[in-house]
Amino acid sequence: MFGREISRRQTLRGLGVTLGLPWLEAMGPVSSWAEDTKPGQAAPNRMALLYVPNGKNMADWTPDTDGSDYELKSIMRPLAPHRDKMLVLTGLSADGANSHGDGGGDHARALAAFLTGAHPRKTDGTDIRNGISVDQIAASVAGSHTRLPSLEIGCEGGSMSGNCDSGYSCVYSSTMAWKSATQPLPKEVNPKVVFERMFSSLPNSKREQRDAKRKSILDFVREDAKDLSGKLGVNDVQKLDEYFTALRDIELRIERAAKLPPAETPDYPVPAGIPPTYEEHIRLMCDLMVLAFQTDATRVCSFVLANEGSNKSYSFIDVKEGHHELSHHGNNEDKKGKIAKINTFHTTQLAYLLEKLGSVEEGDATLLDHCMLAYGSGNSDGNRHNHDDLPIILAGGGCGTISTGRHIKYRNGTPLSNLWVSMLNRMEVDMDRVGDSSGALPGLADS
Amino acid sequence: MFVIPSIHQRLVALAVGAFFMTAMACHADESGVPDFAMGGVGFLQAYCFDCHGSDEPEADLSLTEFTNSKSLISQRKTWDSILRMLSGGVMPPPDEKQPTPDEVAAFKKLIDAIFDHHDRTAPPDPGRVTMRRLNRNEYNNTIRDLVGVDFEPAEDFPSDDIGHGFDNIGDVLTLPPVLMERYLAAAEGIVNRAILPNPPESPRRVVSARYCEPAGKDVPTTRYRPISTTSDGTPIETGPLFTRYKIPAGEYIFRTKVFAEAAERQVVKLAVLACTSNPTDQSASDDVAATITGKAVEACRPFVLIDTIEVTARSEKEPQSIEVQIPRIEGFNRVAVGIVKSSDDAVDCKLHIEFLALEGPKDTRPDSHRRLLTCRPDASPSEQSREVLTRFATRAYRRPATDAEVERLGVLAQSAEQGGAKWEEAMQFAMQAVLVSPKFLFRVELDENSAGDVVTPLDDFQLAARLSYFIWSSMPDDQLFELAREGKLRTVLGEQVRRMLLDPKADALVENFAMQWLQVKRLETFAPDPEKFSYFNSRLQRAMLEETRQFFAAVMREDRSVMDLLAGDFTFLNQELSRHYNIGDTNGNPIYGKATREKGEPIRDREFVRVSLPADSVRGGLLTQSSILAVTSNPTRTSPVKRGKWVLEQLLGQPPPPPPPNVPELEVDGKELTGSLRERMEQHRANPACAACHRSMDSMGFALENFDPLGRWRDKDGEHPIDPSGELPGGESFAGPAELKQVLLTKRDLFARCLTEKMLTYALGRGLEYYDRLAVNRIVKSVEKDEYRFAAMVEGIVTSEPFVNRRGK
Repeated sequence: MFGREISRRQTLRGLGVTLGLPWLEAMGPVSSWAEDTKPGQAAPNRMALLYVPNGKNMADWTPDTDGSDYELKSIMRPLAPHRDKMLVLTGLSADGANSHGDGGGDHARALAAFLTGAHPRKTDGTDIRNGISVDQIAASVAGSHTRLPSLEIGCEGGSMSGNCDSGYSCVYSSTMAWKSATQPLPKEVNPKVVFERMFSSLPNSKREQRDAKRKSILDFVREDAKDLSGKLGVNDVQKLDEYFTALRDIELRIERAAKLPPAETPDYPVPAGIPPTYEEHIRLMCDLMVLAFQTDATRVCSFVLANEGSNKSYSFIDVKEGHHELSHHGNNEDKKGKIAKINTFHTTQLAYLLEKLGSVEEGDATLLDHCMLAYGSGNSDGNRHNHDDLPIILAGGGCGTISTGRHIKYRNGTPLSNLWVSMLNRMEVDMDRVGDSSGALPGLADS
Repeated sequence: MFVIPSIHQRLVALAVGAFFMTAMACHADESGVPDFAMGGVGFLQAYCFDCHGSDEPEADLSLTEFTNSKSLISQRKTWDSILRMLSGGVMPPPDEKQPTPDEVAAFKKLIDAIFDHHDRTAPPDPGRVTMRRLNRNEYNNTIRDLVGVDFEPAEDFPSDDIGHGFDNIGDVLTLPPVLMERYLAAAEGIVNRAILPNPPESPRRVVSARYCEPAGKDVPTTRYRPISTTSDGTPIETGPLFTRYKIPAGEYIFRTKVFAEAAERQVVKLAVLACTSNPTDQSASDDVAATITGKAVEACRPFVLIDTIEVTARSEKEPQSIEVQIPRIEGFNRVAVGIVKSSDDAVDCKLHIEFLALEGPKDTRPDSHRRLLTCRPDASPSEQSREVLTRFATRAYRRPATDAEVERLGVLAQSAEQGGAKWEEAMQFAMQAVLVSPKFLFRVELDENSAGDVVTPLDDFQLAARLSYFIWSSMPDDQLFELAREGKLRTVLGEQVRRMLLDPKADALVENFAMQWLQVKRLETFAPDPEKFSYFNSRLQRAMLEETRQFFAAVMREDRSVMDLLAGDFTFLNQELSRHYNIGDTNGNPIYGKATREKGEPIRDREFVRVSLPADSVRGGLLTQSSILAVTSNPTRTSPVKRGKWVLEQLLGQPPPPPPPNVPELEVDGKELTGSLRERMEQHRANPACAACHRSMDSMGFALENFDPLGRWRDKDGEHPIDPSGELPGGESFAGPAELKQVLLTKRDLFARCLTEKMLTYALGRGLEYYDRLAVNRIVKSVEKDEYRFAAMVEGIVTSEPFVNRRGK
């Protein structure tokens, strides 16, 4: 089964269809849910967080009116089929991304502050500090039910050189998920590796053997490393702590895997690697996210479509300039039009994902109904680098806790973190504050 | 410059034209210690204590403890931030009492003077490097050298984070759980490749004689193929017969089945020859070769005569089976059977051969298996384990493994054996544990006793590791280990540097240091407008990188002056780049245009050749290489700003301050900017907030405008003719790349300092601090004395205070 390596494109061509991988529909609901889903509920709630860089051309984003009769502006038009399954939220702000006396670096701060509600420390490397991200808070609770606590995926790896934005380490502009204030979680960009993480290529019996061996090795190194204590400096000890935290994480995962029902590896060709085009890459990652939720490999997933400040060229949609370069459009209409084009390309991919989530049946509803998907950017207008009135969409029904189909206007400056609090509460995380939040976001359930 | 001055501080400095400042701090009066109590405290009292007093201070920052100069020294970072807030106008807050600009300037000058005085008089501080996790390159290389399997096990590891421009910075390299997972999987993969507890059986290869060489249509198709001693026969008729194999080195068993056709009493002897790719000590001499009959003998040479055997069988019905052991022979690739000349040549005889068969190598374990598990055969099993594990852990931890460590590994291995594992499997298991131990994954520099601010010299093993990871991105080799064991490393550092730079492993310094310093790795994701630059493809992109790689490697290996990096009169091109540059031969003559020099070798291949450049060439030095020119461009156009910024940051170590937040929009009076790129940018610079910094950046970038976004020469940008002239704030003016290079060469001290700082950062794996300034000064001075030679810079670094010493924990 794993001998066959077929790219997504080949798969699609072979089937002669443009959507729907066969396994998505073929897989039934997962038996392990029974124990932790609420009575009357077919599936647990899932959380997905998607990021697009460099802000939006806000004039083509923000609906003119609020409520349920709003009209979709051009960037959101591809989402028309899903209008009833989503909320447009305006007025939310990421204050942590503002300079607060630290000067330039709005791109790095925008991504770093997006899920953390923190103000990242300006450093080119030494003493990196941000805050714990909302996906990781959710994972700390929801993750105990699944083989992987969370999944961090993206389409661009860490940057390959230099400090990335005005004295900020590249880690800030390429990492959205933070396990702690000092522990960024790199994203996986290779679909093949993502798939193998979710569904090990070993049969279950072999995996148990391997896990047992790994466990005794981990026991050994923990014991063996004791002789380092007292011989290390303060920063070294911090690094060693990181090591042991990672080690503990693997142990927990092994323990959890032993308790969970055997992993069902879908009869599905392993992705061959990174697809040749950006669009295919995004869509394959979306497929994997759907698959991860569907098989309950994880319930929390963050997805960075491109690094913040990305200067990627979108020549395949006839935008040849770099994205970042364009976002400093100087109010040139032509450039603004091109930005909107890029923005629309991204919402088209979002529409694809929503379509996929909506096509997976779970009980009487769909995976999209059992899901909360936040999509947006930590920059509003890329030209101004402002971090208020952010472009945010919240899609999915959150297991019946969100009343979709509206545009909700919040007072500008309302912390984006308030949305995270509201989402966490729907993931059974009992917290009333995260990052710079001032409470939960009202109005998500009301219609 | 180690402390990042605030934006405005720099803006001021820039605006007054003091662009190339050599030190950020102003100079204190040499005669006395600047006194904070005089003036400093008063300023704090007047403007700061209201909020930052001793009682519940804002931001937990109380300034009342700063009463004299000494009290500032230990809180340097706090003071950097205070100065930043102050000169950025952030503090005091707008609604509080404001100091006058003169007061701020005087206060700042005082603080700078205090730190500057301290830096010049303080005892040396080597700083302390946070233990470094092996990055992906280092992991791959270390596994290659430790285990002997070269298969890039780190390929699927997440990418390493970058700090201070490099991916080997201890503080920045984190270890997320997903990486730990990969380490476990990689360790399994590595030991399973390196050691085969159940080696496969030796393969057997049988070739029927009729399919052996010499081949041709005259070869008989009978089951037995004859060769004869007849003197007028062809090679096919006379042999020897031989066959080709693609075989690994090792011991083999050769088998054949034969009978002779000869007079009853005649002695017929066959010879078994092991043919080799190259002559060896054991190769048969001409005299020995002359004892074998057959026209094909020459085709078999060089060979080793393995054995001669008398053939007594005389009929196909009762053939003779022959078996010969072939010892390990270097380059063994064919086996041959011939007839030995006999004394009674008068009568011809024939030898009939059915097949040539080879079984082997006898030992199918890979070399890595034998090397890793070598031990004294007569020792007890537990001693054998000890020997193997001591050797492995010592090399993996890059220091002698302690008895206790080996003991514990032994117990782990034993537990596996008790669970039914073979000894080899038990060794694999223990090695797997070593490969995921923090002692292997991190470059740990243990501190036995020191504490506080005591300067401690590294021990020789630690020094060997720093040296080898700096130059090779890998573990120390046997020679470095040996020198460390003897305690001699410190005395031969210069010698070792030169040896190591010549080793092929030093390519790692080019790939990991130079390519990151120059920031050209970004080229891998560079996608220029496919319509404008339809000729751009991955071959050209790889060639661009390769030119820079080979150019830097030449400066390194030939121990040239690092100033050649700025203005060297040579480069390396292949066909791809020669077209791109319009350089047709190795003397730098153009493909199109008039040759100015004697004709050189034409550049026609994909392989790179060294090209010497004429004095008037537009190429020469890093600045004119397309890798750098492209990586500092946008997909559709050049960016003089990015190019200028690159020169300032990467070559001169004078990074311009980041743009202020909320940059005003690029427009003048609400009108769109028009005209050539230069004209548009000049309109932009009409804004004084931008002009101060952009004047230097842009003018350097404009000097390179004749190079298009891919580094091709051009005289026009679209309809606009190129104007490559520029003027620095100091008044130096220039036009075009050649004059820009001349200006840079007048700033060779800045370049040498910048390169030293970058290389020292890379070598130490930490950002530089104010206390490293002394070491940098010394290195720069010694390099200057040695005509800026590359090896002198590397030697200066590895003998510097922060490289050989360390502050206590």
